[in-house]
Amino acid sequence: MTIEFTAPKAKPAALLRPWALVVPAVLFLLVFFVVPLVENGLRSVVNDAGGFTLSRYGQLLTDSFYLRVTAETVLLSAGVTLISIVIGYPVAYFLVRRSGRWAGLIIFLLIAPLLTSIIMRTFGWQVLFARRGLVNNVLVDQLGLIDAPLRFSNSPEIAVAALVHVLVPFMVLSIATVLQSIDLRLEESAKILGAGRFRTFWEVTLPLSLDGVGTGAILVFMIANGSFVTLVLLGGGLQTLPLMIYQQFNTTRDFGMASAMSTILLVIAVVCLFLQLRLVRRRGS
Amino acid sequence: MSSLSAANSRGTSGPTAEALSLEGVRKTFGSTIAVQDLDLEAQAGELVALLGPSGCGKTTTLRMVAGFEMPDAGSIRIGETEVTHLPSHKRNLGMVFQNYSLFPHRNVAENIAFGLRMAGVGRAERENRVAEMLDLVRLPGRGDMYPAQLSGGQQQRVALARSLVVNPKVLLLDEPLGALDKSLRESMQFEIRGMQQRLGITTLLVTHDQEEALSMADKVAVMSNGRILQIGQPNDIYDRPTSRFVAEFLGTSNIFEGKASADGKQLILSGRGGDIAVPLERQVQPSGSLMLSVRPERMRLGPDQGSGVNFEARIIGAVFRGNYAAYQLDVPALGRELFVYRQADGPLGAVSFRLGDVLKLGWAPEDAVPVSP
Repeated sequence: MTIEFTAPKAKPAALLRPWALVVPAVLFLLVFFVVPLVENGLRSVVNDAGGFTLSRYGQLLTDSFYLRVTAETVLLSAGVTLISIVIGYPVAYFLVRRSGRWAGLIIFLLIAPLLTSIIMRTFGWQVLFARRGLVNNVLVDQLGLIDAPLRFSNSPEIAVAALVHVLVPFMVLSIATVLQSIDLRLEESAKILGAGRFRTFWEVTLPLSLDGVGTGAILVFMIANGSFVTLVLLGGGLQTLPLMIYQQFNTTRDFGMASAMSTILLVIAVVCLFLQLRLVRRRGS
Repeated sequence: MSSLSAANSRGTSGPTAEALSLEGVRKTFGSTIAVQDLDLEAQAGELVALLGPSGCGKTTTLRMVAGFEMPDAGSIRIGETEVTHLPSHKRNLGMVFQNYSLFPHRNVAENIAFGLRMAGVGRAERENRVAEMLDLVRLPGRGDMYPAQLSGGQQQRVALARSLVVNPKVLLLDEPLGALDKSLRESMQFEIRGMQQRLGITTLLVTHDQEEALSMADKVAVMSNGRILQIGQPNDIYDRPTSRFVAEFLGTSNIFEGKASADGKQLILSGRGGDIAVPLERQVQPSGSLMLSVRPERMRLGPDQGSGVNFEARIIGAVFRGNYAAYQLDVPALGRELFVYRQADGPLGAVSFRLGDVLKLGWAPEDAVPVSP
């Protein structure tokens, strides 16, 4: 270590240096994110006697029940993502290309549902599809199409529908941002070279908007993966990791198992994020 | 293959040049008239330039030929075929955009092959034709590169190859050199013009750059406010502008505004010390209002008086432009300033005139062209 006898000139005070600006955020994340995450990870590998164990992961990765739960979680998220793409892409396309001066209104309508709490929206779905809810009332009493109310609630389809409802705006906005940035002259180039409307879309617009689809997909997938409230209220017999974690904490009080499950959930999310980054980077080169 | 049927000659080889004609074409956007009652004809193999300031309707005209905009009235024909309401992809056109619009997600070869693929040309022939085109635009072996890896000039040449490979009936160039720097622009002017003439392809060029229009086109159409003001060969339109707008947009002009004399043989200018009579080359309508345009390079400037018109003038501004010098002169008799260009023809390093020099300025009557206001 050297000792400086002359004070260095023009060196700003520590508080003003650029890196000092991120200190509060880093401290916050350290205390409320990194420490709990590490603690959570430790808890999953420490047995009741205080020793090291991987038995919980062993159980999670081999037991057919837990494997089915993990698979169901991933399948649900993938399904929700897929449906969100199918619904969201046309909306995004319309928003960017056709809506003209209505664009502002459409964006407001897209975002407006996000202003109400997710619990309210989920209850809304419950009210709609309850045994004596709006849908059954219309079907049975008003239209007389069926004799007895359908058992909608507690069927997984409603949970999927509610998740899609919550998550589609993320998909639309991700895709719309990228669609917006596509130079229309690229599409005109394709047309003048003999591509009709559909081929122009297929050859130019769609490939160039895949980044937006990717971003939206990862967003929707990860949120769906960790979704809890919707599934608790409308779950319809679905068993997913977040629900199991809740059970472990509240019912079984097996904190170690809950920690191991959340690690699995985290790994799934990180792998997805990594895949998406790889995809974007490869295409961007 | 069906792509070789008579309905679609795209992708086949052989001369495909066809005339392009626009008749009474009109386009409005809301309450703005972008193009009004425009007639334009490009013979097969001809390069016609639409020249004008931004907002004059030249780009809208091009976009209607391309099929990106539908005219409100009038008809567009390519050869014998009426294409006015045909969608773009059925018109057999090639187009180069100002920013080239190469597909960023496809490499050079795939970009060039795009039109052939749309026409259903088989893979083997596609590859041959792409290689041919790469040679033609002097980019052999660059097929695997992506547009982002190419310089502006190279992208330009790929865009040209992509539009020519399908043997279009008409080639559309939308400010094709606008994004290039000056030295490259000049060599590309020669290159595009050379290729266009070799292939004998009918071409419509849109530009706001008068030099580009003059140096590349067989015919220049000067547009303003949605109309063609004048159309003709570059030298004709430069030397014989019919309107003040054309005279001033195409190069620089000294405009003289006055009245014709009672015998119609002179132009009467109101000068500071009274009327000044200027001889005319040809007799005009007597006593009507009259405007003359004289190009700065047609002005005579020197110590001695010459034939025709003569004024005393003092140099108040001098700009060296390499191959010529531009002078700004104050003419006390007229109470106004005039511009004169002098070709650099003296000994190297010498300057003809200096600021403050008082000289004789004039022009021969045959160098003054009557123009409409």
